[in-house]
Amino acid sequence: MSPELVSQLSVGGSTLVLLAGLAMLWRRGVRAHIGAFTAQSVALAATTAMVGWFTGDWQLWAVAALLLLIKGVGIPILLARMARRFGTERELEPYVNTATSLLVGGLLVLLAYLVTAPLVSVSQLPTRTGMPLAMGLVFVSLFVIISRKKALTQVLGFLMLENAVALLAVLGTHGIPIIVEIGVFLDVALGFIVMQVFVYQIHETFESIDVEQLNRLRE
Amino acid sequence: MTAAPFLALLLSPILAAAGALVLPPRWRAASVLHAGLGLISLLAALRFVALVLDGWTPTWGATVLFRVDALSALLAACVAFVAALAALLGPRLGPDDHYTPAQVRRFRVFSSLFAFTMLVAVTANNVGVMWIAIEATTIASAVIVPLTVTKASVEASWKYILIGSVGIALAFVGTVLGYFDFVTLVGQREYALNWTVLLANAPVLHPPVIQLAFVFILIGYGTKAGLAPMHTWLPDAHSEAPSALSAMMSGVLLAVALYAIVRWKAVVTAAVGHQFPNRLLIGLGLLSLAIAALSLVIQRQYKRLLAYSSIEHTGLMCLGLALGPLGVFASMLHLVNHTLAKSMMFFASGRILDRYGSPEIGRVSGLLRVMPWTGGLFAAGMIALLGLPPFGMFLSKFALVRAGFADGKGWLMAAVLALLAVAFVSLLAHLNRMLYGPAPAGIRRGESGGWAVVPLVACATMLVVLGIAVPAPITELLDRIVEIAGR
Repeated sequence: MSPELVSQLSVGGSTLVLLAGLAMLWRRGVRAHIGAFTAQSVALAATTAMVGWFTGDWQLWAVAALLLLIKGVGIPILLARMARRFGTERELEPYVNTATSLLVGGLLVLLAYLVTAPLVSVSQLPTRTGMPLAMGLVFVSLFVIISRKKALTQVLGFLMLENAVALLAVLGTHGIPIIVEIGVFLDVALGFIVMQVFVYQIHETFESIDVEQLNRLRE
Repeated sequence: MTAAPFLALLLSPILAAAGALVLPPRWRAASVLHAGLGLISLLAALRFVALVLDGWTPTWGATVLFRVDALSALLAACVAFVAALAALLGPRLGPDDHYTPAQVRRFRVFSSLFAFTMLVAVTANNVGVMWIAIEATTIASAVIVPLTVTKASVEASWKYILIGSVGIALAFVGTVLGYFDFVTLVGQREYALNWTVLLANAPVLHPPVIQLAFVFILIGYGTKAGLAPMHTWLPDAHSEAPSALSAMMSGVLLAVALYAIVRWKAVVTAAVGHQFPNRLLIGLGLLSLAIAALSLVIQRQYKRLLAYSSIEHTGLMCLGLALGPLGVFASMLHLVNHTLAKSMMFFASGRILDRYGSPEIGRVSGLLRVMPWTGGLFAAGMIALLGLPPFGMFLSKFALVRAGFADGKGWLMAAVLALLAVAFVSLLAHLNRMLYGPAPAGIRRGESGGWAVVPLVACATMLVVLGIAVPAPITELLDRIVEIAGR
């Protein structure tokens, strides 16, 4: 693959990953959100595999396979089970409405371009062109977490944040050391499982997963 | 270097978790085994302190996965100490407590794993592994925050895991950016995330990139350290968790997060000088101190009081890190004092909560008459936290403020002293209300399970020793830490 093509594919892959994140802002239903996350994970795995092909690094292939397995299949299955339970609880009135959310999302991506300008200027890698989009997803995920009311949506925001960092790592460094990578996967999987348990617990204790009710501990 | 102390330090908590999983929690032998393994881990940590003082830097594992210098040894000793206390004084040991065997088992399993992750975090040489371990601390501890499921504990655990995980993800962004800069300059290396390698290469890193990385790292680990404005989870989690877990979270988890900041600060200082990181640390430290001091005034529950006091002290330590070598020395001494005082306070407050059955300050009165030992220790701990002699925090706070003046930051220190005065008055008023007055009608008097007071008396004694004169080995250890972290 020529570096120009890799550069274009990096931007293409990152755009898909970011768009899936932005979809969280205009879709309301739980299933649509889970679909967006699944699509994002697949796009991320494909981008990682593409970089692995370009660099000839087998470790990146392994990472791509793990991504597909854990974030593309495993976690979505557990999410779908949660959707059957809480599917009726849609994001009807987020703290920020859809139009404003999309505007904020656009501004955050612009901000990401400003913040990552020094990174893109020092790097020689052809994949660096996607880094601003990855950073954009970091900011958009944070915005999803603070502006949405359902615990499940917040979990999805967190998972997307993890995807954003993974994308940033693969584009900027062509893969972090494999031992760290495996540890990160383990953390994400365990963290997700505990969060999932907590969401069920919130539902059991409060009879809804709306985090607006989590307001007893004040002062 | 032999692997033996590493195995003793890190394997004991794993064995403790496994033991708790298979043995019936009611068995006396299970409790003894659990506490014994905690003690072995502590002895291994003290062995590391001795090795470091002898001039060794023990390392272990392929590509130097683990490495213990003075800073690691100090933190490992603090973590292992509080973990051993928690193993000794955790659920099912106070006769007043109400935990079921299943809850005791869950507590023992996850508190051991929690201790393990913290010990890995402070002994790992690879900043990536350090990150993984710190992220895992959130997971292991969050599971047992709602040990007793109530609306309040469920809420606290949700805020904790969500804010903690998001914060730590941002610290990972910073770690990736640091690695990115390294790769850009040197190319991919398996050991590039080793702290020693990062530090050696720091002078050639690109300043704008490493500055951006540090901002992410400070926000990320600062969230775990309870620095304002990312502290919002802390008062809830620390007050709703079982007291033995509160002691671990407040006594050492905050210190472990601060440790990560100290490590990265050394890299950033070597890359761009101390002015940039110091400004950020002073800003966050002062804000934490201010928010904590003002929040202390209006608290109505004693565990929340202690939680806000933790934010106050973390803020102070954070400030100290930015005040030159003297400041780093004072900050690390303060860390040791805080570990002792705050863990003792949370264990004591656990005993108070068991007896009075209420977390409200207004419901606790006549404490000195109801529980003379626990009440006395609670008072001693509070006086220690206030920074009065003869306790260690008097010396460390004094040294910290003096370092600030010596560093030419007179105005900053004036603000710090004013905020400390606010905290002082409000803590003293709350303490006064709890110690004296008539005991509530029908409450049982006298200590129960009196032997449990012994380790707490030991904590208080160590605080007094540290307050009279800092023992020579500790001074030497701190001097070595200043060489590592303080410029």
